[in-house]
Amino acid sequence: MANRHKENLPITAQGFMDEFMRLKRGSVTRRHFLTATGLGLATAVMSRVPGAISTPAYAEDLGSQMSIATWPNYHDPATFENFKAATGVAVEVNVFGSNEEMLAKLQAGATGWSLFVPTNYTIATYHKLGLIDELDLAKLPNFSAASENPRFTKEGQIDGKTYALPKNWGTTGFAVNTSKIKAPLTSWKDFFEIAQGEADGRAMVHDYQLTTIGSALVSLGLDFNSIKPEDLAKAEELLIKVKPHLFAINSDYQPAMRATDAWMTMCWTNDGAQLNRDIPEIHYILGKDGGEIWTDYYAIPKDAPNKAAGYALLNYLMDPKVAVKEHTANGAPTTDSRVLELLPKEIVSNKIVYPDEAALTPLEFGAAVTLTDPGRAELMARFKSA
Amino acid sequence: MVTAMLLGPAAAWLVVFLVLPFIAIIVFSFGERAPEGGYQPAFTLAQFANLGARAAAFANTLTLAPIGALACLLVAYPVAYYLAVKADPRHRMLLVSLVVVPFWTSMLVRTYAWMYLLGGRGIPHLLDLVGFSDVRLLNTPGAVLLGIVYGYLPLMILPIYVSLEKLDRRLLEASADLGAHPFSTFFGITVPLSLPGVMTGIALVTILLLGEYLIPQLLGGGKVFFIGNALVDLFLQSRNWPFGSAIAVTLVAVVVMVLLIAMRIAWRVAGTRQVDLM
Amino acid sequence: MGSAARDDIEFRSVTKAYGAVTAVRNISLNVPKGAFLALLGPSGCGKTTCLRMIGGFEQPTSGEVLIAGSGMNGVPPYRRPVNMVFQHYALFPHFNVEQNVAYGLRQMRPRIPAQEIKRRVGEALEMVRLGGFANRRIHEMSGGQQQRVALARALVNRPSVLLLDEPLAALDKKLRSAMQIELQTLQRELGITFVLVTHDQEEALSMADLVCVMSGGAIKQLGAPQDVYDRPADLFVADFVGKTNHIQATLEADGRTLRLPDGSALDVGAERNIGAGETTLAIRPEAIRLTPGGEPRGEGFAGTVTHRIFLGSSVEYSVSVPALGDFLVTADRSTDEGQLVEPGQSVRLGFDPAAAHLFPASHAAQPEGNTHGQQT
Ligand SMILES: Nc1ncnc2c1ncn2[C@@H]1O[C@H](COP(=O)(O)OP(=O)(O)OP(=O)(O)O)[C@@H](O)[C@H]1O
Ligand SMILES: [Mg+2]
Repeated sequence: MANRHKENLPITAQGFMDEFMRLKRGSVTRRHFLTATGLGLATAVMSRVPGAISTPAYAEDLGSQMSIATWPNYHDPATFENFKAATGVAVEVNVFGSNEEMLAKLQAGATGWSLFVPTNYTIATYHKLGLIDELDLAKLPNFSAASENPRFTKEGQIDGKTYALPKNWGTTGFAVNTSKIKAPLTSWKDFFEIAQGEADGRAMVHDYQLTTIGSALVSLGLDFNSIKPEDLAKAEELLIKVKPHLFAINSDYQPAMRATDAWMTMCWTNDGAQLNRDIPEIHYILGKDGGEIWTDYYAIPKDAPNKAAGYALLNYLMDPKVAVKEHTANGAPTTDSRVLELLPKEIVSNKIVYPDEAALTPLEFGAAVTLTDPGRAELMARFKSA
Repeated sequence: MVTAMLLGPAAAWLVVFLVLPFIAIIVFSFGERAPEGGYQPAFTLAQFANLGARAAAFANTLTLAPIGALACLLVAYPVAYYLAVKADPRHRMLLVSLVVVPFWTSMLVRTYAWMYLLGGRGIPHLLDLVGFSDVRLLNTPGAVLLGIVYGYLPLMILPIYVSLEKLDRRLLEASADLGAHPFSTFFGITVPLSLPGVMTGIALVTILLLGEYLIPQLLGGGKVFFIGNALVDLFLQSRNWPFGSAIAVTLVAVVVMVLLIAMRIAWRVAGTRQVDLM
Repeated sequence: MGSAARDDIEFRSVTKAYGAVTAVRNISLNVPKGAFLALLGPSGCGKTTCLRMIGGFEQPTSGEVLIAGSGMNGVPPYRRPVNMVFQHYALFPHFNVEQNVAYGLRQMRPRIPAQEIKRRVGEALEMVRLGGFANRRIHEMSGGQQQRVALARALVNRPSVLLLDEPLAALDKKLRSAMQIELQTLQRELGITFVLVTHDQEEALSMADLVCVMSGGAIKQLGAPQDVYDRPADLFVADFVGKTNHIQATLEADGRTLRLPDGSALDVGAERNIGAGETTLAIRPEAIRLTPGGEPRGEGFAGTVTHRIFLGSSVEYSVSVPALGDFLVTADRSTDEGQLVEPGQSVRLGFDPAAAHLFPASHAAQPEGNTHGQQT
């Protein structure tokens, strides 16, 4: 399947079904695709068969079942099989399309999750709404604060207390098909200019206000997280000017890039790495004028029905030997130097996954207020309906 | 007593699944967005006053839904006419079921099929082979229209088929007998008498299109923004439930108006009140 | 139109088959201009098919239909100078009465001025006595009124031939009689050729001046009503048109002596040209004389009255005659001296042999298994 795009096969039913199944599994992009297609609440049960016998490797009774809320194609399925073999606890995996959906579900209550995977800028909100508990680090001996990069643990801590542990980090840049676009691009300013020029009708932006508005702001020399009306007005002007030239406003950009319907797109690290791996002429570029850096965390809901199992799984995932498989599977960079040492050389040397520190410097973490700001939501609605 | 017992479950079903959600939406629409999103109780008309913020979505929907329904009609009528009037009666049921078969697969899958066909590896690729390179079909208004016509065609064909099927053939013979050319018979007799079906189809498709979000999202590349898309964003992204509810309530009001207008027209033209729209 | 146009309708060896079913079998027929033809026959005998071939809704499988002298093969209905009154009227439900009647005029090219259309529609509605109903919806009209709208709608076009497919079948008896008279009057006044399909023999006999009796897709007899009634061509026609009593007998070699089942002989007056052997004698109920009192050796056959049906101006008796079966006898009250015979009484039946028809026994199958013919 990996090289199918290069062979320019004519349309076949098999090809379509592959494509569809790939999308349905959510291996393409994680956030908005599922929302857009209504599959967002789909639940993938990866190992539902209850363990025949609980292996009493843990002091506490872990029960036989727990569930986790996470992103599509974000784990090595073997991880949960192995966890079950070790503990007797079967893990039900719920995949989501966006942080907002995850938040809505948790806010409504009775999710049944004992572990979930929020992104950095939502943790403060979960804390404020009292939806998550402080983590008892004594139950997480595999976690090593010392080997973590503080840049990525920072947002898991509020008032000196740890509420979430980092899973992996990533960036939001853009992918360019260099066989179609000859102009060199290095910034978001370039991105929006080329989108109206050489890539007219072939550029994509996310259907996600945080990154789309943030990148537009950055291209104008403004702050990624700005919620100032005058800044937003400028970003709006730019976005509405660009809109007629866009191929799509859609976070599901891999298929279009692979089919060369789109030549350029706003892009997250892991997608960039996958596209570049399969189609080398697609380059992943971080804007030198700025952009987003993000971290996904693990947290335990306050109303988790099986906290013991939640802790057990989290501790299991913090084991570098387990984490390294997770990173190999989902392609996103690790926050833990112990894991970094274990990862194969070709992954660590991939500049898309592990960019130079200099490229990261201009990037900013999304802020909680950025995400929930009504002004930005309305701007996005006006942009999309223009 | 027995009637009450028989009606009980149906009434309960209606209350639980139709009335309660709708009441909830009405209540929400007078509320406020909580600071972290969702709903907090209040009594304000602010949400309705703010409807103008989605005026573009309303405008898009209210123009594209009828255009989509009319495009559907243009394709559906000849098909329904063929099925009901011209097709060999022995094959008719088979042909009619072929119209319905695509409905057995989800709209999502069928729309994805079109994404594939219109995407770079589909028709544009074939065009490339004959010398037209870099043709873009996907994410154009034409693609959205195509998706709409394709997706809603059975809903338009079936009611028209039913009304044409019911059409008394002797009326067509009577028309021919009175000297009418087949062309005049078609426009003077067949079309007016199939109007109840046409109006049912138009009302059905228009109403469903008013809530459509999948096709504009997938075949329009998210650049075509319907009320449905606005609702998805408001409920799932910015989590502004009260505003979303106000839009939903307004949409219901629009739907009711569309229905009433459609019924009026159908009654007037068909000259009878026996027009069943649903 | 040359002299060939003397006949308004002509069938030349017309056959119509629907797949394996042959609905009309090699029919040839001439209908003179201005005639009132009734196509009469049992259900499924091909009447409607004939009418539809004239209207152009069906094409003959072989042969040809001519209207006013011109061949009509391949000519579509809308180019034929005929109009039809459909069995269930086929009025356009989305038009009002006036619009229905005007429909044919509106189709005419060159166009007829609106004023002229309005005038002619008004006239047509007056003609069928629906003057005040122009703006009524069709579903607001009674059956009889709808029937008259259908008539007006057809006649307003001044067709050279008007086709009527059982136009009165849906009406009650009283309305039907009234409409029969109206139709007949109209036909006389307008001088248009009418072709009426009916399976009601009384209707055919009373209205038409030419009756065509059909069976199994073929014409059994074509003639004036009295001819068909008085001189039926075969046993089928005798049975189907009016009521008939049968006596199975054997015709002797002299061609005039009948040997009856009871062994007696009957002289039929004149030699009949049908050959000796098994014969069916057919005699109309009104040709039989019924005399009360049953002396065993009197004239005719002795029998017993089993039923009596009082019809006002006449009385029908059912009389059982040993060895010969049941007879239906109609007694005219103006000639029976006002005296009714009671069931159970013995009577004698007699008839003028000249009024009896003899048919070879194998000549025709019984239509609908009814020995007394069609009872409407
Ligand atoms: N469209 C058709 N397809 C096949 N067979 C037909 C069709 N129309 C008529 N027939 C057959 O042709 C024969 C004659 O039918 P037709 O309608 O002419 O009878 P009819 O004399 O008008 O009878 P009725 O008095 O019942 O109306 C019947 O056996 C009928 O079943
Ligand atoms: Mg008939």
